[in-house]
Amino acid sequence: MEYILHLIIFICFYTILAQSLNLAAGKAGLISLAHAGFYGIGAYTTAILSVKLGLSFWINLPFAMIISGLIAFVVSLIALRTIDDYFIICTLGIQIIIFSIMNNWMDLTRGPLGIPGIPSINLFGFPVDEKIPFLVLSIVIVALIWLVLKNIYNSGFGKILVAISEDEIYIQSVGKNVYKAKIISFTISAILASIPGVLYAHYITYIDPTSFTVNESIFILSIVIIGGLGNLSGSFFAAAFMVLLPEALRFVGMPDSIAANMRQIIYGLILVAVMMTGKNGVKELFLKKHSF
Amino acid sequence: MQQIILNILISSSLYLLVALSFSLIYYTTKFFNIALAALIVFGSYFVYLFSVQLNFPFLFAVILSVLIVIILGILNELLVFYHLRKKSVSSLKYFIASLGLYVILQNCVSLYFGDDSKVINNTEVLVGNKIFSVYITNIQLLTLFISSVLFISINLVLQKTKIGKSIRAVESNVNLCKIYGINEERIILISVCLSSFLAAIVGILSAFDTNMSPTFGFNLLLYGLVVIIIGGIGSTKGLISGSLLISSVQHFSAYYIDSKWMDLVTYIILISFLILKPLGFSGKRLRKVEI
Repeated sequence: MEYILHLIIFICFYTILAQSLNLAAGKAGLISLAHAGFYGIGAYTTAILSVKLGLSFWINLPFAMIISGLIAFVVSLIALRTIDDYFIICTLGIQIIIFSIMNNWMDLTRGPLGIPGIPSINLFGFPVDEKIPFLVLSIVIVALIWLVLKNIYNSGFGKILVAISEDEIYIQSVGKNVYKAKIISFTISAILASIPGVLYAHYITYIDPTSFTVNESIFILSIVIIGGLGNLSGSFFAAAFMVLLPEALRFVGMPDSIAANMRQIIYGLILVAVMMTGKNGVKELFLKKHSF
Repeated sequence: MQQIILNILISSSLYLLVALSFSLIYYTTKFFNIALAALIVFGSYFVYLFSVQLNFPFLFAVILSVLIVIILGILNELLVFYHLRKKSVSSLKYFIASLGLYVILQNCVSLYFGDDSKVINNTEVLVGNKIFSVYITNIQLLTLFISSVLFISINLVLQKTKIGKSIRAVESNVNLCKIYGINEERIILISVCLSSFLAAIVGILSAFDTNMSPTFGFNLLLYGLVVIIIGGIGSTKGLISGSLLISSVQHFSAYYIDSKWMDLVTYIILISFLILKPLGFSGKRLRKVEI
């Protein structure tokens, strides 16, 4: 039972990650491989603030969001000078820089040793150290973020983003600031990505750089693509599928060592299949429905 | 100091080959094929399989694995990229598909051989030959020799022969090539063969010099990518100066700061190039659309 709760908490984390990336990738067409980096910035900010300075969750969360947002803002100023695959490579470079700082700046992050002993969350004098209260907190946060993203999607700004991904030159010609809209969507997406990082650090109470590698970024991106670009509920179902997939493989009787690789092979196959059929996400792959 | 310069030459020759293999595919298909990283890994692991595990004669093992890698490259092209091209999808989708392909192939290697690092070169470590007060191992000497020969000969092929000219023709204008009766799919296949061949050689050489693990191809490929972006695609001088710059920055930062910051410095160079000189050394356009 405890383990099932643990899995559901992880589904919550990946739902937030995938949905926030979906704002940049699905709406504005900014496919980013730096998302695990922003996730890691959230986790490391929390770890450093709460272990070294003894600050609580309510201070860590806004701090992590601000730091992640600032970094994303500066990064997007640079990265958005490029487009399409050059943009992906640029974000890949940023991901590697962030990872390298987490892995090597011994004084600040303790490098590969990681940071242990992060205290659990204390909500108004009510400790959230059990699985069930933590799960409730995560679900509340997922619901809030879902609501925020849905509102952004339906707002005028969301419409501009969709228009940008469809025809950038046209939307510029009717007087919208494409560059600014892209920067805003990338920054919001990074700010939201730091939230599961904060939760993760408080939940696991120990973090090390291996949770925030390039592979993690590829994993988050594939959740978005499997769920369908611009599809919020799709991201949720894809996150659930990807988190539960290794368990399903173990259930079939596959040993752990093979299951980890098999999971990656399966999502690689889905990525290639989705790209080759030109469908948007797995849902359309099976339903044969075209969206216009 | 001389030793550092020598090491810079050796690693830059490897980066140069990766960049060349990468840009050969880019010439004809206009996208970054990340799956090449898996071909690099396959090259070295097949040599490991044949020569260490199955005890084939060494040269035979190398030839066999290069052939298998070329076949794999062609299969990738025919089964995946050909169909993508027929749909004329954006280069972004190409990129993601090749990323997926890389994940599949790399995990196949991990499944069969395990994630730990392996050593092909089981001969005892030699001090190396001493030439002009620097030490160089046989493998490094061979790396320098093979990569310069390959780089020069591939460039000669591109410049002088009919096939090379067709490859460059497809690069500059596909539609015009069709009008003149150049079979573009055949040319793409040839360039895929050449680039898989180079990828296999790079993998084998670098696995001999250092250890190998299922993910070493990705790092190598990313350095190649940085070289291409810094140097500018399609420029021989740009590639040479890019690879020299990257490897000298890496070695000097390892010497003066710490080897753990090598990656960081490399990507900072990449990003500063994107800000200050987005067209690379050669000045060729990086952006495909000007807005």
